[in-house]
Amino acid sequence: MSTPDQPTPISRLRVLTAVVEDHPGVLSRVAGMIRRRGFNIQGLSVGPTDQPGRSRMTLTVDAGHAEVDQVQKQLDHLIEVIEVEDLTEAPRLNRELALVKLAVSGPRRDRAVAEVDRAGGRVVDASPEAVIVEISGEFDRIERLVEALRPYGIVDLARSGPVAMSKQVPAAVVELAGQHTGVSAS
Amino acid sequence: MTGGEIVLEALRREGVELIFGYPGGANLPIYQHLAGYPSLRHVLVRHEQGAAHMADGYARASGRPGVVFATSGPGALNLVTGLATAFMDSVPVVAITGQVNTTLVGRDAFQESDVVGCTMPVTKHNYMVTRVEDLPRVIKEAFYVATTGRPGPVLVDVCKDVQQATFEPSWPEAVHLPGYRPTPDPDPEAVRAAAEALSTAERPVILAGHGVILSHAEAELLAIAEKTVTPTGTTLLGIGAFPVRHPLALHMTGFMGTGWNLRAVQECDLLMCVGMRVDDRVTAKLDEWAPKAKTFIHIDIDPSEIGKNRRPHIAVVADARAALRQMLPLVRPPQPGQRHPWLLQIDRWREEHPLRYTTSNGHLQPQDVLIEMYRRCRDEAIVVADVGQNQIWAALWWNYLRPGLFINSGGAGTMGFALPAAIGAKLARPEKAVWCVAGEAGFVMTAQELSVAVEHQVEVKIVLLDNASLGMVRQFQDDFYGGVRSQVDLAVMPDFVKLADAYGLPGIRVDEVGQVAEAFDFAERTPGPVLIDFRIDPEANVYPIVPLGKGLNDFWELPDEYA
Repeated sequence: MSTPDQPTPISRLRVLTAVVEDHPGVLSRVAGMIRRRGFNIQGLSVGPTDQPGRSRMTLTVDAGHAEVDQVQKQLDHLIEVIEVEDLTEAPRLNRELALVKLAVSGPRRDRAVAEVDRAGGRVVDASPEAVIVEISGEFDRIERLVEALRPYGIVDLARSGPVAMSKQVPAAVVELAGQHTGVSAS
Repeated sequence: MTGGEIVLEALRREGVELIFGYPGGANLPIYQHLAGYPSLRHVLVRHEQGAAHMADGYARASGRPGVVFATSGPGALNLVTGLATAFMDSVPVVAITGQVNTTLVGRDAFQESDVVGCTMPVTKHNYMVTRVEDLPRVIKEAFYVATTGRPGPVLVDVCKDVQQATFEPSWPEAVHLPGYRPTPDPDPEAVRAAAEALSTAERPVILAGHGVILSHAEAELLAIAEKTVTPTGTTLLGIGAFPVRHPLALHMTGFMGTGWNLRAVQECDLLMCVGMRVDDRVTAKLDEWAPKAKTFIHIDIDPSEIGKNRRPHIAVVADARAALRQMLPLVRPPQPGQRHPWLLQIDRWREEHPLRYTTSNGHLQPQDVLIEMYRRCRDEAIVVADVGQNQIWAALWWNYLRPGLFINSGGAGTMGFALPAAIGAKLARPEKAVWCVAGEAGFVMTAQELSVAVEHQVEVKIVLLDNASLGMVRQFQDDFYGGVRSQVDLAVMPDFVKLADAYGLPGIRVDEVGQVAEAFDFAERTPGPVLIDFRIDPEANVYPIVPLGKGLNDFWELPDEYA
């Protein structure tokens, strides 16, 4: 299985982030285009941005038989897609959130919680019969914890799909930030 | 104002003069007010597919967007093929469809279908309007998106209760679409690099596509070709972008292009493609296409076309005219004598691979018809072709000297396109003679629109190239599928003379070459629509043709024994 953090050898797996207009049907438009062009979605998450009326999608897409830059170009082609960045080759942060429900009690629960602590996750809900554990991080980190918890009996697993962000700051924004500092100093 | 009136007023403000449509339950609140807008002429079609093709033909002939009305459910779904046809060929069409009431959406109401969902892959953009206050903005955006950048169809689905709701609109002056950048400026560095490469190439070739016609770049194209002495061909949809009798003309390229064009593409050291998609019908086998082109320059307005099929060395993302205009002063003529070997070589190919057709078997040949037709119209008439052999014969056996005179469904290859598109073209350009060239099989797919031609006395002259079979399919079966003829025989068809009579237009039948001139005399002196059923050689084939899966160099020509 290929993952966002382990690109397939030919690098056909693209990680993209897109700012889109928050309209009904925009997800269907994006998903339809991806199917139509022979691409394949491996991960997708959608959420609001800091601007009203705009959402951000993070997509992990296999370019299929197409030229890999087609994924970005075809996304950009959609009128409700405002901007797209292909982060595949860029320095970036990837994060995914997972919730894991374990039906454990007594000493088994203590051992399971110790695994969670070691992995950097935390218990977010506990009842006499079960605990729910939260972990966020890169794909591998989540995979490792899930594997470690498997022997304890996973009742439910929910993963958010990856979100990603470039580590770079556009030059124009750096300049703007500098100006703001100047204003507050004077 | 009601939503229905807002739709009509918005169209009036967009300068719309003609609507092709069909009323039904979910768009009646628009039709209720149509008579109040006398500047909007409405043509009642006989099937919604006809409306979409008429709007398409109207748009291709006039350069203005074609407008379609249809009701919900089956009415709107009948537009799909027509919208796909316009989409593949970048034609501006705005379709306004009725939808069930907002409160019924999603409940599988009578004549409800997900029209936005169904048309998403075949439109440039589409909208569903559920609030009357959105209508003025959405219709403004629809026309803007349809006509700017790379044009295309846009569909606006309007719920019936929105058409009935009242609202006092304020009309937007501008559109605000932050994700839409229709006309990128050419990158001066890329243009300079392209100009330099073109100026220093030994064996350059230019190919021009529909984008050259859409952007009116033919003068700039001709100037660059002449200044750099570059042989220039066109795609099927680019026909007319470069005068076909010019000494540098390479005529049509691709799967069924001329032999000298294909040889030139395969031997050139520089290939510049302008306003075209470089699709499979142009390249045939992609890895064998233009193998000696050390420099491939691709100019197109749509960034997603760059590198989609063949990665260019130099890419200019811009309107063809803007790019060529910037390039013209930067290109240099070749050194004296530098171009001679290349032009001589192309002349030899032109002599070795002439276009020719069967003249010896006693049957009426399609070329007999087209050559006589051309003799009469010169380069002034508009020819609207259907899809199949008739389309390629019309493309190759007619000397198109100017853009906009040849209209056909290139990308989608939609049979049944010609008659309704010809009606739309004639309504757009009443001063032009319009010839509809179709096979009998495609013709019957939309023949019901003859009523529209008769009702409005749309003077379309219909030339049926009738071989009593699905000719192109039969040719493919003969040549590429082991000679097994399967389901291509159309021996049982209407008597087209009687069919024409039933619809109320004159029709005649021609069986021999000796009757061709007389038939055209008849067509030309008879006002209104006329149908001529030319019973052509049932074995006539299209040549040249590249066998399926082969490269351009492997094209077949008319076998000598049939010449």
